Amino acid sequence: MTAEALLARDVRKTYTARRAPSVEALAGVSLVVHPGERVALLGRNGAGKTTFLKIASTLLAPTAGTVEVFGHDAGGHPDEVRPMIAVVPQEGKPFFHLTPREQVYTYLRARGFAREEAKSRTEDSLGQMGLLEVANRLSITLSGGQRQRTMVATVIATEAPLLFLDEPTIGMDPFARRAVWESLRTLTRRGSTILLTTHYLDEAEALSQRLYIIERGRVLVDGTAATLKQEIGGSLRVSIPGGGRLTETVQTFGSVLVDGGTLHVITSPERLPELMALAVREHLSATVGPVTLEEAFLKVVGRSIDTEE
Amino acid sequence: MATVTRAPFRGLVAFSLTELRVQLHESTSIVTSMIVQVVLLVFVAILARDLLPVALFGAILFSMFALGQRVQNEAAFVRIDHKLNELYLAGPLAPEAYFFGMSLGVLGAYLAPIGILVLITYAIAGISLTTAVVLLATATGVWLFASSFGYFVSSLFRDMRTIWPYASIFYSMFGVLPPVFYPLGYWPAPLVPVALALPPSAAAALVQSTIGWATLTPWEVAFAATALVLEGLGTFVFAIYWSRRTVREDA
Repeated sequence: MTAEALLARDVRKTYTARRAPSVEALAGVSLVVHPGERVALLGRNGAGKTTFLKIASTLLAPTAGTVEVFGHDAGGHPDEVRPMIAVVPQEGKPFFHLTPREQVYTYLRARGFAREEAKSRTEDSLGQMGLLEVANRLSITLSGGQRQRTMVATVIATEAPLLFLDEPTIGMDPFARRAVWESLRTLTRRGSTILLTTHYLDEAEALSQRLYIIERGRVLVDGTAATLKQEIGGSLRVSIPGGGRLTETVQTFGSVLVDGGTLHVITSPERLPELMALAVREHLSATVGPVTLEEAFLKVVGRSIDTEE
Repeated sequence: MATVTRAPFRGLVAFSLTELRVQLHESTSIVTSMIVQVVLLVFVAILARDLLPVALFGAILFSMFALGQRVQNEAAFVRIDHKLNELYLAGPLAPEAYFFGMSLGVLGAYLAPIGILVLITYAIAGISLTTAVVLLATATGVWLFASSFGYFVSSLFRDMRTIWPYASIFYSMFGVLPPVFYPLGYWPAPLVPVALALPPSAAAALVQSTIGWATLTPWEVAFAATALVLEGLGTFVFAIYWSRRTVREDA
């Protein structure tokens, strides 16, 4: 396999409606996903992640630009692409009146798997997602997290060459999220490629080998979580709620970010005592922690990932 | 990677069986699907017992027509609320297999109560071989039209709440108001061509003609039969086209 798993060039999407202004959801997204990679699209709600995923998975036509999946044009020849992909839709739910076992099995059958193969993959996938205990209960009786796990189980059972997962762990408890992460790692070890969207920074950091930060329909930066964190200069984050008035004063300590009313200073351990003393003098509280992807995101985008557009 | 293309109707049987399972788990809906027909039959039995054979055949045809409403609601619900169209259509399953498989699955699940209705009709009114053939042919035409039309209508809405009122209007206007449960002779004469043009009442007129409850000229028989075939096949072909076109949500 020589072609890239996914190659997007200058993808644009503008939504037009009769009685509403046009909305530019994607303003020229270019990215590449190599075969066998796990790549995350990271961005705030409304940044354009889902729109891009829908275009890449042939469910939406771009206004301009091209997307190739293993060398096949997703826009021009979607029928060539669809057998190679599987999608967990954002906020998708299994059939309420199927059990998880039926959902996974019948989906595999609809994709053309033979009975025995479908049965074997179903049990394996349900086991990975921790659903065996509820495998024979109708999905309508399951919790939101269990339904989401059923959706993920349905798609990972395909082991399709390219998997798109749109916010795959939303609504899941921490244990379930980790189970999903482990399953996705296993899948890429077996040769699948994964492109996922998330607004969980820890998920992007733990799971993706590379990530793209998207904001307002544009890719602002790409790299690994480690390189993004290194680039912000400093290993400690000092957060000072209500510290906006100190913005000028703390410039010499390192990178300064203001999110809402909170001042974040990325600094080194050597400068920490001085900075804490300054906060105390100003009668402000301060919290200290290691730099995370959250600070990298804040620096790149200028706003927290939880901030709504 | 080698090119793998989708064959037409790829995955039809498997997706039909998926939908059949979904429907069979909703046994209450299958039972309640007969309420309108049973209530109308009770009314007819009380008010005009001699019309019961006509009403029974009409109930069978109406039941086939009502399957379209079921397809409409199912297709809309799994698309709007569950986003399952994205799961299934971004894959090797052919879009026309998704549409027609859903229709076949619904048909399979609801065959049992319709079969009971046929048995009751046989017991009360009798069904000759000719009538059985006409009934089967017209019921198939009505089902094909209604399922295809229902799938098409389902794709026009973004909110389940806006679908329900339209569904009631369509199915009352097509299935209850025209002469499906009552003889064509009771329908205003100037509007007979309309009744013969609408699939459920065209089917009912042909069946009523076969059992001696309606007198149709050869031209009227040809008109009703042609309308039913064209509307059934026409909407089916259109629904295939539409299912392919609407894989992309902004197409």
